[in-house]
Amino acid sequence: MRHRDWSDDDTPEETRRTHPNPKMSGTNSRAVRRGRVQDMDIDTFERLPGLGLSRRSFMRLAGLAATLPIASSLLAACGSDDEEDGGSGTGSQTTAAAGTEPAGSTEAAGGDETEGTGGAEDPQPGGELVVGLDSEPPTLDPHASPSAVTFMVTSSVAESLLYLDTERELLPWLAESWESSDDGTTYTFSLRQDVTFHDGEPFTAETVKGNFDRIVDPNFTAGGALAALAGYTGTEATDEYTAVVSFENAYAPFLNYAAGGTLGMVSLKAVEEMGDTFGTQIVASGPFKVESYTAKDNVTIIRNEEYNRTAPWGTREGPPLLEKVTFKFIPEAGSRVTTVETGETQMVQSIPSQDLPRIEESDNYTVSKTPWVGVPRILMLNTQLAPTDDVNVRRAVSLAIDRQALVDTVFAGLGEVAIGMLTKVMLDDPSLSMPYDPDQARTLLEEAGWTGDDGVREKDGEQLTFILNVVDPGSGAPPEAQLIQANLIDVGFDCQIKAQARAPWYEDNYNCLTHGPLMFLRSGDYDGLYSMFHSSLIGKNFNFACLNDPDIDGLLEQGRQETDANARREIYLEIEQKLADIAAAAPLVDEYAVWAYRNEVSGLAFNGFTYPVFGDVAMQS
Amino acid sequence: MGKYLTQRLLSTIPVLIGVTIAVFSMLHLVPGDPIQMMLGEFQTSPEQMAQLQSQLHLDEPLPQQYGRFVTGAMQGDLGYSIRSKRPVMDEIKDNLPSTIILTLSGLAIALTIGLTLGVIAAVKQNTWVDLTSMVVAMLGVSMPSFWLGLLLIFAFSLKLEWFPATGGGDLRHLVLPAMTLGLGASAIIARLTRSTMLEVLNQEYITTARAKGLRGSVVVLRHALRNALIPTVTILGLQFGQLLAGAVVVETVFGRPGIGRLIVSAILEKDFPLVQGIVLFIAISYVVINLLVDLLYAVLDPRIRFG
Repeated sequence: MRHRDWSDDDTPEETRRTHPNPKMSGTNSRAVRRGRVQDMDIDTFERLPGLGLSRRSFMRLAGLAATLPIASSLLAACGSDDEEDGGSGTGSQTTAAAGTEPAGSTEAAGGDETEGTGGAEDPQPGGELVVGLDSEPPTLDPHASPSAVTFMVTSSVAESLLYLDTERELLPWLAESWESSDDGTTYTFSLRQDVTFHDGEPFTAETVKGNFDRIVDPNFTAGGALAALAGYTGTEATDEYTAVVSFENAYAPFLNYAAGGTLGMVSLKAVEEMGDTFGTQIVASGPFKVESYTAKDNVTIIRNEEYNRTAPWGTREGPPLLEKVTFKFIPEAGSRVTTVETGETQMVQSIPSQDLPRIEESDNYTVSKTPWVGVPRILMLNTQLAPTDDVNVRRAVSLAIDRQALVDTVFAGLGEVAIGMLTKVMLDDPSLSMPYDPDQARTLLEEAGWTGDDGVREKDGEQLTFILNVVDPGSGAPPEAQLIQANLIDVGFDCQIKAQARAPWYEDNYNCLTHGPLMFLRSGDYDGLYSMFHSSLIGKNFNFACLNDPDIDGLLEQGRQETDANARREIYLEIEQKLADIAAAAPLVDEYAVWAYRNEVSGLAFNGFTYPVFGDVAMQS
Repeated sequence: MGKYLTQRLLSTIPVLIGVTIAVFSMLHLVPGDPIQMMLGEFQTSPEQMAQLQSQLHLDEPLPQQYGRFVTGAMQGDLGYSIRSKRPVMDEIKDNLPSTIILTLSGLAIALTIGLTLGVIAAVKQNTWVDLTSMVVAMLGVSMPSFWLGLLLIFAFSLKLEWFPATGGGDLRHLVLPAMTLGLGASAIIARLTRSTMLEVLNQEYITTARAKGLRGSVVVLRHALRNALIPTVTILGLQFGQLLAGAVVVETVFGRPGIGRLIVSAILEKDFPLVQGIVLFIAISYVVINLLVDLLYAVLDPRIRFG
């Protein structure tokens, strides 16, 4: 059994859902694909008991017969988890390192993210907001959840030490101030002294210690939080309100992660007392508290009347305006969009591309598109397996892919052409680009010795083969795989799509057996590149390019330890450039997180991780 | 009858064995390492993986694992959900009422519409009433339930604003999902009822009944329909199972809690003990319902003697 080394993985909450789901193209294709999955399931179900079964002999078999197809369709659908994940890949540590890149907000229709759409009237307290989510959180416990949807709910319930705003700037939250040691291994937080949890427990330095220790406790099944504490050696409460967090090595990404939902602070007393029920009834300190949780249906959070502070996303002091926020779990994309149209919900997540134009054209809604952070939808290129072990072949692959066509079709309205190994919102280097130039690709292949004008190119009797490794969610290869295949065939590759369930997809990638695994990664920090290109992670997560380049390794390690923001940015620009030069991967599309909300919702804001925060939201009647 | 009952009960044993083997094998037939799949999204130490492996008894020989699975299942112990850490049986119990209500409502709608359409179509054979009923039935059979569900949402939630589109709760939330489930099934029942009614109506005892001067409605409903019901009852048993399966789709489309939603999320979350438990539960329900249907034959048609 393979044990994945998560310790090097930087993607706090989104990790697992992200890359496992290589081809899930954000909202769009998720929805599309989900439609197909259902299609398939229905087919199976409807076919099996069949019609005209009035024969008793047949009936005897029916019990058994019926179970088999159900079972088999279950198996098939297992692969579709990915799509569920990937799709909902809505959530991510949208961090860019502090003080680096301004958030290149790319929203098309929604205008500024933090701008409510309401009119000029003063917002009135009261009212209920109903939000349609595309999946149910596996747990609300921020430390245990591997899944972004959790943080859609907890972003206004649990508070972190720091807050990351949409300008990618770190602000005080539970910590009033903070500093890092010169060597970057310890971080000192001066905490607010007026914070109590929803159960009345005070928040102190011991709470910070207890929370972090809980996450790294080997007996606790942590989610993305564990990765955010890579190399954590302990926390010391030097006085009641001062916490010193230490790491084995310099760990520059930590401050960004400390602002993430995964490291949100919860009441340790509640953790202890509630046991397994804590996952549905978390107790924290935010402006909202969990009221009720109905499995498969909804979770409701209500105003925390005791909240006496100004939340970092707003200017208002005291409790929030809304009385209540209900999150309904509506997995079916069509139904979900309908609920915002009927007013059953006032805000929904993940709009499928086919519904997007209709919603965008209407004056009744605002559509917010926020670019994801991390690594774009990307085609990793195996640097160890022939023929992609040849840099010219890899460059040719990257040049042959028509990214604009992907953005115009499969990702219509849901993304833009990627320019580098990190999404533009993370690190926008105008000198980087991923051109589409099939002629140049053909020339490079000729130079590399792969000849033959028509059909598949050959060299020394070998055909130019490219295995595109994608996860099959149960409904076949994702549409973008077919587009890429067509592009590669066009320049002379024999491109074969290997669409498979997630587990074997991983096995192939760990063992470097295919030329091009298709994936994406949400990451809150540049450090996401470490998990994808550091040689220590070949055969683990997620160096599926199987890249072993001491130069890149050195830069990635340096980036982890550099505490000066500008110097750090320079390091990653260099890494991006180098990776592009050796074509270790072909970035394809930067995707958006897409939300639609009705005009009666005002004051909606998103935090730097693209999760909505509801403290200043008001409903207009 | 007693002998038949015994025989019939005994005959379900091999079926149940088959079902348990199929459900049990599920975990082992999945490509890849099941433990890794289940924990794939969580940060897990090797110790925790080993712990889960022994908790699921995956380190034991297969026959022993199977024995454990069956013994547990017979005692109502289907293990623990990996995600919620609650007993699988509790998860099923919590979600069952909602699905039962949905399925029974669907069945009621299916029977009402199906029988009515079927009988009318048979009595008015080859008239426009017959034709219309059968075209409607044909549409109902052909329409996938998720599509029908979305159409109903479009019409009754979005345009007319009569019913909410999603969620569980009161009766208003039940109408659209139950209609979605019921309409598909009603089409099948209507077509079947029509054809068996036609067959029965052409029999000599019907002619006799008419010759005795009985009223048309009495002939149709008491003499013909009762005898025509046998195939319908047969299909009803199967339909019930199908409605359970249909709940998977309908509950997802309408965002309604229930067994269907539970199994879908269990699959997506790779919560194998939960998936196994639910599949086993549905399979056994199916077997039991079919058993009941077989027994119902005797009640409906005394000519059927078992043994």
